[in-house]
Amino acid sequence: MSSAIHLELNNVSKRFGGNQAVDHVSFSVLKPELIGLIGPNGAGKTTLTNLMSGMLKPSSGTIYLNGRRIDGLAPYDVTRAGLGRTFQITRALSRMTVMENMMVPGLALHPGMRRMELEERAHEILDLLTIDHLTYEYSRALSGGQRKLLELGRLLMLDPAVVILDEPFAGVHPRLQETIYGYIHRVHDDGTAIILISHDMGAVFELSERLIVLNYGALIADGTPEAVKTDPAVIEAYLGEEEEEA
Amino acid sequence: MAVFNRFEAAIDAGIGRQRLGYILLGLVLLFFLWFPNDASQSNYAKTVFISGFFYAIMASSWALLAGIAGQFSFGHMAFMGIGAYVAGLIARDGFIIAGLGIQITPESISAIGAIIVGTAVAGLVGLVIGWLLLRLRAAYLALFTIAFAELFRIAMLTEYDYTGGSNGLSLRPLIEVAEVDTARQIEYYLMFALLIVCLLLMYRVVNSPIGVFLRAMREDEDAASALGVNVVRYKILVFVFTSMIVGLAGAVFYSDVGSERIIPEQLEVLQMSLIIAYAVIGGMESMIGAAAGAFISRYMLEAMREVVITLPFGLTMADGSDAFTWETGAWRFALFGLVMVFTLRYMRNGLLYPIINWFSGRDLVMKETVSKRHDDDDDPTSLEDRDE
Repeated sequence: MSSAIHLELNNVSKRFGGNQAVDHVSFSVLKPELIGLIGPNGAGKTTLTNLMSGMLKPSSGTIYLNGRRIDGLAPYDVTRAGLGRTFQITRALSRMTVMENMMVPGLALHPGMRRMELEERAHEILDLLTIDHLTYEYSRALSGGQRKLLELGRLLMLDPAVVILDEPFAGVHPRLQETIYGYIHRVHDDGTAIILISHDMGAVFELSERLIVLNYGALIADGTPEAVKTDPAVIEAYLGEEEEEA
Repeated sequence: MAVFNRFEAAIDAGIGRQRLGYILLGLVLLFFLWFPNDASQSNYAKTVFISGFFYAIMASSWALLAGIAGQFSFGHMAFMGIGAYVAGLIARDGFIIAGLGIQITPESISAIGAIIVGTAVAGLVGLVIGWLLLRLRAAYLALFTIAFAELFRIAMLTEYDYTGGSNGLSLRPLIEVAEVDTARQIEYYLMFALLIVCLLLMYRVVNSPIGVFLRAMREDEDAASALGVNVVRYKILVFVFTSMIVGLAGAVFYSDVGSERIIPEQLEVLQMSLIIAYAVIGGMESMIGAAAGAFISRYMLEAMREVVITLPFGLTMADGSDAFTWETGAWRFALFGLVMVFTLRYMRNGLLYPIINWFSGRDLVMKETVSKRHDDDDDPTSLEDRDE
């Protein structure tokens, strides 16, 4: 894993017509932190993910990763710069085998490596994720949870400095959820910064060292889980007027 | 079924499927090499085979473009036409690139030189079209390429003074041998060799990392891009590569190898539909399947021009003959359409897919991994368990 991490968002905004989806968001990731990115539905979490990963271009603002400006780069270039992501709705390459799915990032990011070495690496990762027995199955034959694991496995083939996990626990069996927990700890221990987006508040609070909260596209809190839990702006965003009345 | 299972087990225990597949493929190649030497075969039969080889190149390269890379283009015949027309025009009129001081006269360029220029121009146009198509997907890409193909066809039809309009354009003959039988034999081997070379080139690409990226792109462009694949580069690359393949095939075929002139009728959408049909029937995701599908379909379409059915039980026709002769005309295309409908409904991977899949041993690998899953442990253990 990469040792140097410096992800920096400066006043990043995205507007779709009259909708301000992301509103002047700034934050930095300077070490291999495990960050939870939370917010109510429509807060702009996925849009922000798409901006960081190059799927969307910001209307204004800049994003730097390890000194390189990545806003406006094509997604493949952002990936090569060291930022990997998963998708909210799993995007396994269905008419390709699990091994071929793993080889796509392997071959794209490590063109100099021998295929056999990459395959060995892929086997290790699949074994770690407990889906090694499915190596030569088409990924369309995998269950929803197994596809989530495959998507996480593909990320490891990228050797990213920063990974964004978009709803990794959505629709996953509790036992597989344990596997994903283990994966997150392993990746984090290896020195990768993780931005975790999830509606599973229990998981987010349990795993995260730092929480960033969005509401209506704006960053309303950034701090430790304990601090964020008691932040009035966060309470209002999640509970609305009821809290005030109480 | 039990007999087949016993046969399958015997093959797996003995020679092995892949080896058997290679042996059969070798026999097929030997047959094609032997065929023109069979004195009983007419030149017409050889012409049908030459045409089959040409369409096999067209269908297999379309399978690479659409079936493997997911770029559902209707412009394939147009690129073929570009190769043929440019080769013909260059050989007839020469060309001048004033800025570079290049002047090629018709006398100074050979048929091979004209074919090379035709191929290069097809590749260049493929580069431009590939670039224009970057942001188009699915139906929009198909519609764009239909419009491009029609535009090119109409231009060739309208510019009568240059292209010969509906009469077509004669290309410089590639083989100038007076004796008809010998000429046909050389043309046969030339087109066959071109098919083999094109298939080998395409297989080289598909079995390289590029092939993995193309298939990833077909499955999901956004996901492929997020995994580090430069989708733009490979989209353009596959367009240029397949355009050059069909440009070359067109330039060679119409240099009096398979046909003496290229006509705009060959560039109609209907002709393109036939290429797609050949690839679909053979197997869109397999180049060898698409090539075989095209060759067999071409052969069957020719063989079905006249169907003779011998009447049973001593029955005779009104004219006293004991056979019913059916001039199929356009009906053979209707029957062909039925085969395509059947394929799309019941065997979407093509009629040859189960055979190719069996010989490749792919289903064997799958059975093995599935059984391994049951043997090992049905319960996925957590990472922590594994660490312990």
